[in-house]
Amino acid sequence: MSVASETQKPVPPRRRLAVKPHSVQDKAFFGIARSAAIGAVAIVGLILTYLLYMSWGTLAKQGPGFIFGSQWSAADPENLVFQIGPMLWGSLLIAVSGMILAVPMAIAAAYFIEFFASSRVAKIATLIVDLLAAIPSIVIGLWGVGVFTPVASHWAKLLNENLGFIPLFNNDSGSFVNSPFIAGWVVAVMIVPIITSVTREIFSQLDRDVINASIALGASRSSTFMRVILPTSSGGVVGGALLGLGRALGETVAIFFVLNLSFEINWVEVVESRGGSIASMIVSFFGAASPEEVKALIAAGLVLFVITLLINWLAAWIVAKAQPWRQ
Amino acid sequence: MENLQTTPALPALPRPSKSPWQIRNPKSTRSIILASVLPALASLALTFSLNIDGAIAMLTIFLPMQFAAASFVGFKIFGRKGVADAGLVIFTIFFSTLVGVLLMSVMFSVITEGFKALSPQFISQNNVYITSTTSLEYGGVGHAVLGTFVIVGLTTLVTVPLGIALAVYLTESRSKVRGTVRTLVQAMSGLPSVVAGLFVYAALITTGFTTYAGWLGSVALIPLMLPTVTRVAEEALRLVPVELRNGALALGAPAYRSFLSVTLPAAKSGIITAVLLGIARIIGETAPLLLTVNYANDTVLDPLQAMASLPTYIYQNLDSANDTSLQRAWGAALVILIFVAIIFTAARIATRSKTAKKSSKKVVKK
Repeated sequence: MSVASETQKPVPPRRRLAVKPHSVQDKAFFGIARSAAIGAVAIVGLILTYLLYMSWGTLAKQGPGFIFGSQWSAADPENLVFQIGPMLWGSLLIAVSGMILAVPMAIAAAYFIEFFASSRVAKIATLIVDLLAAIPSIVIGLWGVGVFTPVASHWAKLLNENLGFIPLFNNDSGSFVNSPFIAGWVVAVMIVPIITSVTREIFSQLDRDVINASIALGASRSSTFMRVILPTSSGGVVGGALLGLGRALGETVAIFFVLNLSFEINWVEVVESRGGSIASMIVSFFGAASPEEVKALIAAGLVLFVITLLINWLAAWIVAKAQPWRQ
Repeated sequence: MENLQTTPALPALPRPSKSPWQIRNPKSTRSIILASVLPALASLALTFSLNIDGAIAMLTIFLPMQFAAASFVGFKIFGRKGVADAGLVIFTIFFSTLVGVLLMSVMFSVITEGFKALSPQFISQNNVYITSTTSLEYGGVGHAVLGTFVIVGLTTLVTVPLGIALAVYLTESRSKVRGTVRTLVQAMSGLPSVVAGLFVYAALITTGFTTYAGWLGSVALIPLMLPTVTRVAEEALRLVPVELRNGALALGAPAYRSFLSVTLPAAKSGIITAVLLGIARIIGETAPLLLTVNYANDTVLDPLQAMASLPTYIYQNLDSANDTSLQRAWGAALVILIFVAIIFTAARIATRSKTAKKSSKKVVKK
């Protein structure tokens, strides 16, 4: 500054180092990159416009009843009624019950790996969790059908026998298989490794000095966890949980095999053997669907996509907000 | 200064028999062990003597007893804050055990049930002339493995160059719309896989353009794989220090040479990881393939026809709900699990060689 004031010259703004493509090869290099970007944006745009275009007719014809009604009849071509209320509610119910089960498990497992276990156990557990986060959902579905359904239906029966007075565990049919309860568990098993993996990552990035400081000030393990670890990492944990929620909402085949689809809306009776799921509905209906019905299914898929998008953006926003240093 | 030197040395204090900061001593360790074993034994005895269902006993007898015992010991050793600590410990261990049991149950059942079906002929044969009651000695997943290779391979061929070029655009260029492009690409990761399949089904199959075909499956998988490849490749490219690039540019290299001979080699392992994670993401996708490829029982390598693939093979066998076909499904699940494990090991080796290189560079610097 002193030099500039002596010579009375204004300080020029700092020059930014940037490469401008001059040669043909450079132009080609940046051209390829740009065309990839245009291509990717075109794919997104194409998918969105096509989904909107295909579903517009159904959405306009069915009106708000498409979301809130609960009737699906494609038999009479003069009077087509497509309403996805029970399926949408079922998707949300299963995803939320999956979250209720998965989030405490994931936080506990991440805390165990990062702060409890010896480094050797932690290493193996991390490996297994990361591997299971990549397991295809149909394998979880297979496990749900072959191994878990008998166990979970027994749990559901116990809940109904002992806590049946709560509407949540009411069951009039006497059948405990293929219920949203089991689907929720299967989804939870599917997303637990994903949430654990994210949460563990966040926990491992925490500043150890802050934790040590808290302990040095006389805080116990639990107050360090509640007052230091959770608040510092909450954004990342919530982001990871919402990521899992997005996965749970879009889950198709794992739910398809453990759920009895029904267009009679099932509000909260999770152990009843009927429920809904948009993704499973698409898979089970598309084969025999007429062109109009396919359009209605696309509209249902669009609704699901929009919900997942909102959740993903919310997750990205929360994570970015909570960890400004990652920018 | 002189005064200080003349002060007599303080007499040495006797060393305390127990370090004051050492809270755990043999006595407290003994009570911690007792508190962890006694409730388990007591609740086991109660459960068997009263003949209560295991799940109920776990929740209503064992957990409260364990919590009471742990709080008591915590209170004895740490005072009042020990009670909350006991709660945290019980919470962590209970839920971690639950996670461990569930995930281990998945792994264990896939491995044990899968090995019952696995045999050389299960890997090599296809599904022609196989009905749901045919014995396990005939038929297998050979056609499905090859089909998965073709479908996933085609997707990889398209997606990897696209994803890497996109990552280059996001890191190397100075374009102003990079943020928007990144958001849009990441929005694709929110696309439910079944909707991707339905999109291709509605656009190309119901319009009569073509029938079920392998390449349609590859198309449907592109939007699912692209966000993963782009995100990981972008992170890898961003990890390369900007000084390296600027150094190459300052030496007079054009941008494409600086990228090809400096940035890309430095980010090689990250890019390999991106490809592997992308493959792991789509190798088990079932719903899109169900809507676009359907199944085949014969070995089909022509992507213009309906093909078999491992996930749809599992679906097909699970759908027929028969003991033998369930066994076949488990076998195919084990094959997928092995593929995923191989991909993960490869990704791990790729990242490990990167750290090894880094450390060797440091040694050279010294």
